[in-house]
This record gives sequence, structure tokens and C-alpha cells, in this order.
Amino acid sequence: MDHSNPQPRRRDPRAQSPAESSSDELAAGSAHDEAERRRASWTMQNGFTPQRPQQTSRHYSESESPDELAVDADEYWRSSRTRNRHRSPSPITRPSMQDDHSQGGSDDLAEHDMADSDADQAGDADNWSDRSATPLASPVPPKPEHLNYKEKFVMRGHLRGVSAVKFSPDCSMIASAGADAAVRVWDTASGRLIHIFEGHLAGISTLAWAPDGEWIASGSDDKTIRLWNVNTLKAHTKVFDGHHNYVYQIAFAPKGNILVSGSYDEAVFMWDVRRAQVMRSLPAHSDPVAGIDVVHDGTLIASCALDGLIRIWDTHSGQCLRTLVMEDNPPATCVKFSPNGRFILAWTLDGCIRMWSYVESRVLKTFQGHVNTKYSLQGCFGIYGPGDVSYDPPLCFAVSGSEDGSILFWDLVSKQILQRLEGHSGAVLCVHTGTLNGKRMVASCGADKTVRLWEEVDEDDTESNDDVFSGGVTPTPESHSQISSPTHDADGDNAMTDVSAMLSTAATPAEDVMMA
Amino acid sequence: MNLSLVDPFVLAQEYPDTLTEKLSSGHATCLSFNHKGDYLASGRVDGTVVIFDIETNGVARKLQGHTRQIQSLSWSRDGRYLLTSSQDWKCILWDLKDGSRIRTVRFEAPVYIAELHPFNHLLFVASLFEDQPVLVDVSDTKPIKRILPSAPLRPQASKDEEIDPAVIAKQAAQDAKHSTCVTIFTAFGNHIIAGTSKGWINIIETQTCTTIHSMRLCNGVVILLRLASNGRDLLVNSSDRVIRTVLMPDLSQLGIDLEPSAIKLQVEHKFQDVVNRLSWNHVTFSSTGEFVTATTFMNPDIYVWERSHGSLVKILEGPREELGVVEWHPSRPMVVACGLETGCIYTWSIVSPQKWSALAPDFGEVEENVEYMEAEDEFDVHPAEQVHQRRLDQEDEEPDAVTRESVKGDGDADGVEPFSLPILLDVEDSDSGEDVVAIGPGTMRRRTPGTGREGANGDSEKPTANGASRGVTRNRRR
Repeated sequence: MDHSNPQPRRRDPRAQSPAESSSDELAAGSAHDEAERRRASWTMQNGFTPQRPQQTSRHYSESESPDELAVDADEYWRSSRTRNRHRSPSPITRPSMQDDHSQGGSDDLAEHDMADSDADQAGDADNWSDRSATPLASPVPPKPEHLNYKEKFVMRGHLRGVSAVKFSPDCSMIASAGADAAVRVWDTASGRLIHIFEGHLAGISTLAWAPDGEWIASGSDDKTIRLWNVNTLKAHTKVFDGHHNYVYQIAFAPKGNILVSGSYDEAVFMWDVRRAQVMRSLPAHSDPVAGIDVVHDGTLIASCALDGLIRIWDTHSGQCLRTLVMEDNPPATCVKFSPNGRFILAWTLDGCIRMWSYVESRVLKTFQGHVNTKYSLQGCFGIYGPGDVSYDPPLCFAVSGSEDGSILFWDLVSKQILQRLEGHSGAVLCVHTGTLNGKRMVASCGADKTVRLWEEVDEDDTESNDDVFSGGVTPTPESHSQISSPTHDADGDNAMTDVSAMLSTAATPAEDVMMA
Repeated sequence: MNLSLVDPFVLAQEYPDTLTEKLSSGHATCLSFNHKGDYLASGRVDGTVVIFDIETNGVARKLQGHTRQIQSLSWSRDGRYLLTSSQDWKCILWDLKDGSRIRTVRFEAPVYIAELHPFNHLLFVASLFEDQPVLVDVSDTKPIKRILPSAPLRPQASKDEEIDPAVIAKQAAQDAKHSTCVTIFTAFGNHIIAGTSKGWINIIETQTCTTIHSMRLCNGVVILLRLASNGRDLLVNSSDRVIRTVLMPDLSQLGIDLEPSAIKLQVEHKFQDVVNRLSWNHVTFSSTGEFVTATTFMNPDIYVWERSHGSLVKILEGPREELGVVEWHPSRPMVVACGLETGCIYTWSIVSPQKWSALAPDFGEVEENVEYMEAEDEFDVHPAEQVHQRRLDQEDEEPDAVTRESVKGDGDADGVEPFSLPILLDVEDSDSGEDVVAIGPGTMRRRTPGTGREGANGDSEKPTANGASRGVTRNRRR
């Protein structure tokens, strides 16, 4: 939906000369205009942003109608997005911009800050040239500057928007689920549908594969979590019943004995998977818990909620060990631990993905360039670069969908956009990375009812092999897909996918859950 | 991964202090942690073996095959195989991957204790009731049993000396009175340590099944022998009401630096209750070997001694029944013991209080008042986008999000292929009917039918805990 300013984002930033980029945004418009805009946005922010989470909750509890507040928040985040757009559409660090800051707008900066940024600038400028074209004098070849994922399959079948997609642990299958309350399992190699699991009474928001690859867990708006066996194609007889409101996100502990779920009832439950009972309830948040993840060794759980807090929990004792928060409290919608568990990636509705070092309670990187103002987008870490060269640090990307229908890959170190995949016609809600037979792949799903599989292709044969996949299931061009996709009543679909539309029609949260 | 965040004071505490959990599934009589410490096997009076998941306190697997009380449990190093011995004269080796019985070995007597070789899960020693101990090789479906000697090693008489037949006869009669009560492997499995009914300790070479060293430790029956994780400290419980710790020579040096004749077992500490003359039901080392723990006869207490000075540091209390087998978690300060009367399994561990500063990121906990020094620029107002941009510009680190630090004590560190127990979703519900669910550290409640379902219906209109109306900002997906 936000196509207003895609041009500067897509441009390769290293192609720009510093002079060009400095003249790019900051110098745009008269100085007066700029100041005016800044002042406006600043006051707007002060007016709308509660300073502390405690205040947020009090604020909410005082209000009588949820609608009024929701609009409030919606309005705020919309406005903050426009602010974002004014600010600097390019997420890339530019030394020249820093220059501009320290000269122009920083008369009130502290001394050490100045010194810091100067040093940073110098260091950064050095690194800059290193990072781009010419590597250090070492045999390691330069980092690839972009990724080359190509669409492999478009998997259709979902009747409504698809909210979650996950590769099985061995990546041989893909599970997807969405508003049509069904879990679909696809074969990764052929893109064919293997099975449909039906049983939920309302839309599914989240999926998780058990580590042994035998079970799929799905969390639904019918307040339950159900398990489905991929081998027997049967549902588990025990239903994980206990949440008082929609299940928002679930994650398995690496051993598969514990399932962690976050819900609209603001609680985080740890389930004993064997008994299908709540083992422990974490007194987590004061708003719906949107994101849950478990670290690779199972000792930590991360949760995040729409109150903007990200909490790190000790699995063994159930205690909160850390709380991370940005000062504006933007609603946090998704958290993911890095592959080594030292960092977390957090999606917030201010259009940013932040990488935190939770030990130091510090943001290391901010990824921007996607549109994210109202959906819980789920993304992933991934690895890129040639497998036979070892880089230090290893080449790693963050990937996320965007509400404008694209999928973005950011380099974890430079924060540059490595690739922007277009294809989905609606918001891309969930992206997951996987590897099958040595091929790196990305699965994505979105509000356009499709699940798409993308595969990394070698740089060299991209041009010639454009039609390499046409032998299998056809990667349909967008226009084709519009025609071939089954048409369902459009407004019903919108009501389920579009939050603002839903807010205006639905009165209470309980009413729009269909219960048998 | 949580080490960097956990309170160091909590980590520094080495022994548990609070009764935290009560596990129950039938009447448990013996316990054993696997080497990783995530599963606890318990043997029941009725011959069933129940494996608990320590993380969920739930039953991970039930093994049915014995018909009488389980006597001992022994895990293989990788945690895949479990050897059980029972009063029904059988030992069973289980494969926990599918719960199948790999081998069943029948003896002519009830089994006291059976222990697996530390590296070879197809070799074990068993001490039998009023019978000779055996070394059993089950690599073939037909087990090969080799009888181990019980008689202590006599000093060789020199050749030229005339041997009095009467002395020989007397010695033979004495030797015949020895019977071995407990046999364990040394750390590398090259030797077997055996304790006899006359208070002797024999060291037997596994390869040849011959005694290479014998030593008289005490007058009573040796009830239990245990090795610390370092393999050099031996813990001996005997019927003379004294617990001894014994320093062992490095037996792996035998034939290199150490002659069998030079082996010397040196008693380090003797733990006893001089006043009440308590006798000890069961003993164990702590995970590091720094502490010695024992349950007491006719008494619901667990004694914890530290070994550097040999002093009593803690008496664990809680249940109102006499406790039998006690086990220490292989890596955490956590002690489990089973009650003799009810057969429940009690768990003691450390309860760390929630640090409230972890919940409120802008606050910190201080011991005393600190005068606050305001920074020069603390309340300066910057335009939001400038602050944002400056923040972005400062993000110039090169974090490594992929490489994992190898953690000491990981299973793969010792070259053992990690085995993960499959998660069974259809373990039949506990037949005891009174399972207890822990609802928090130190608090428990009885499980009622349909737990976890309460409140699922009926209170949908009830406001949530903090009074916030639910679903306020409903940015749901889809």
C-alpha cells in the first residue's frame, strides 16, 4: 500500500556518492519547512505517546470503549508512519548525514557525544570503503552485495489470508495456516498439497513444528492450540485448552516437551506437551502477547506484547530476567532469537525491526524499509554467501515481509537491503527460511491467500534460467494469479484481514469468534 | 544461554535449601538421573519404571517388564539405554528410543544393584543376593556371565616358606564367608570396585576378572559404594553407621606409573552422628563432589556435609516421612529423594526471588541510597528524527548472530552422540490418581480432573487481572 517512495530504497546505496546522498533528503525543502515539520512531529509524539508502560495500561483501563482507543492507537501509528516517511526513507547509514547532524542540529549535544560521533564517523567512513567493493587484504572474497532469490512455486488453496508458514525441521514440507481455519501441508520439492488439517473453529494465527517433525501445532482464535500428526494425518486427541482469548503465537522448546504460547488474554503459558496441560503461566504483559520464541538450548523464552515490552524469561524458574523497551513503546508484534541465541530480532509497529543484545539491553541494529503499521509480520534470520568461504562474522540476513507485498532481506551488519522480492499482491505476513538439498529457500505467505516458495539461484545463470522452473508447477505471473485465484466474497475477506475494517464492524472481541 | 542473565548470587549457591516439588507416580523406591540431568528415572514397587521429565515434571515414559520391586537403575552415557534390576531376579536393558527391551538377563537370585559400564552399554556388573557377583556381557543375545571373586586378595606367601595347611583351611573358610554386596565400575570402566559383607573393598580388573587389590575398610557390611563425577573420590556407606569418603589412586595409570602393589585407598572423612548414632539409608555425592548427602534411618531429614572440612552445612527438611534413595542432580544444586511410606519423590532446589528490576527496565536495584548525578545533556530536547538518525548512525558494530559458543559440559563435548528422548504424547495417565501439579516455586496443589480447563468457559466477560479491557489495539494478523 505504501508505494509512495520506493525509489530511494531500491537504489543501491553504494552506487551513490556521499555528496549525492547528503543532498538527498536532508537538504530537501527549505530549512523553515524542515523545522516546522520536526516541531509538528515532535509535539504529535509527545501528545500521543505514553511515557511509561504503566501509564499505558492505566490509560487503557480508564477508557470505556475499546473502539475509541483502538482508533487512537491506530491514528498514532499511522501518523508515526508518515513521520517515518518524512524522516528518511533510506535505512542506510550514511556518513555524510552524520556530518550534517554534528554541524547543524547539534548545538545542544554533549561534548562526549560530539567526540563519539566524530570518531564513529571516521571509523565508519573507513569501514565503509572496506565493506563495499574492496575487501581487506585477505583471501576472503568480498561479501555478496545482493541476494538472488527467485520465485519457485505459488501454492494456492487457502480460502482466505494466510497468516503463518513454516518449514518442517527437515524442510521437506511446508505448513501454512490462516483465516480459513485450516492447516495445509505442502511438499517443498514439488509444491503440491499433501494434506489439509481441519478442526479449528476460527482462524489460525500461528503454527509451530515439533522438533521431531511429526507434529504441527496450530494456535487459533477459537482459544485452543491443536496438534496434528503429519505421519498419520490425524489430529491429536488432546486439545490444549486454557487460554481465555485468541492464541496469538506459539513456539516449541527445542526438545519438544514444552510448548509456549502467547495470547490475547495477555498471558504466556508454558504447556506440558505430553499432558496437554498448562505447566506454568508467566505473568507476562498488560496487552495481548504477540510474539513468542524459545532460544536454541531451551533455557530462555522471549515474549513481546502490544504494550511494547519485550521480556526474556528463564524457562527453568519462570522468572523474568530482562525487559527491553523502546522509549516510544511501539507495539511489539514478533520476536525471534538469533541462531546462536545472543540477540533477538523484534518487529514493532513503528515500521522498524530491531536487533537487540538482550544481555546489554541495547539495540544493535535497526532495519527499515518495509511497511509495518498494523499487521504482525513474522520474519526470520537466514544465512547467505558462498558456503565454502568463511566470513567473520558469518554472513547473516534478516528477512521480513512488508505490508506493501514485498519481502525484504537485510544484511545483519551493514543493514543494507540485499534483495527485495515482489510477488505477493497483499501484505506478506510471515516469512520463513529453510534449506533443502543444499538449496536455500524462503517460504512466504500473505493476505493474498497464497503461499510462495522462493529459492536462491546462482548469480550467473539468472538471466538465462528465468524459465527454469516452468517445467514443474508454473510460477504464475501476477496478472495470471489474479484471474486464476478462486474469488470469494471480497468484503468478508477484508473484514478478517483488515484490522481497521474489523474494528469498525466488530463490537467486542468475543463476538467475532465463532464458537460452535 | 541464560547464564549471563541469572543473578550471580543464585548461581554461587551450591546446595539446595527449599522443598520445591513433589512428583508422584506410584510408589517409587529408587531414582537415577541421566547424565545430562533432564530426565529422572524412578523404579516402583510394582516393577514399573517411570521416567520423569525434569523440565515439565511430567511422565516422559513408562517401562513395564519387571514384576517385583525395582532395585537399581543405571543410564548409559548418552541417555539412550537404561539398565534396570529387580527383585524378580532379572535385569532388563531398555532402549528408550522406542521403549523396547534389548536384553533380559535372568539370574538365580534377586539382584541388589546392577550398573552399566560407563562407555559400553552392553556390559554391566550385578551384585546378587547371597550369590557371587557377575560381570555380564550382553553384546550377543545370549548373555555371557563371568563370576567375580568376592574373597579378598591374600598376600602371596614366599616360596621357600612352608605353608601350614591349617592356615590355608582357615583362610578359605573365612573367604567363603565373604559375599559381595555392591559392585560399581571405575570412571573408565577398566576396573570394578566391590564391597563385601565383611567390610572389605576389592578392586577387580574388568578384563581378567581378578582381584588386584583388597583393603579392609570397616567391620560392618558395605551397603553402598558411589564414585564422584571426577572418578577419584569414593563414597562408602556401611552398616557401622559411618559414611566414609575414600581417595582413590588414578587406576588408569596402572601399569604405567602405578603398580598394583602400590595401590592405597586413603580414608579422607568419616561422617557420623556421634550423639544419636543415626544410621544412613542412602548416600550420594553432589554434582561436583564437594558435598556429601545422606538420608537417615527413622528420620525425615537429609544431611548435607561439605568435604573440605567435613562439617555439616545443612539439614534438608520438609516431608514428614522417612526418606530412602537420595540423588543429586548431575549439574544443578538439586536433590531428589523418595519417601519410604508414600513413595513420592521430593525435590529440593534453590528458589530465587524475582528481581523486580528485571521487569522495569529503567530501574535498578541499589543496596543503599545513591546520590544521583544528572548528566549534562540529560533533559535536553532533541527532535525525534534527529535522535532516531543518530541512533541509526551509531549502529556500526559487526555482531555475529550465528556462531554458537561451545558450552562446557555439553553432551557433544565428550564425543557422545546426543540422544534425545522422543516426546510421547500418549503416555497413559498416571494410575496413582493423585498427581500433584506444581503451580510455582515451593507451591503445589493436587491435580483435579480437568486442570488447565478451569476458566475456559463461564468467565469470558470477566475483566483480566489488571482491569484492562481485552483486545484494545487489535492489530491481528490476517
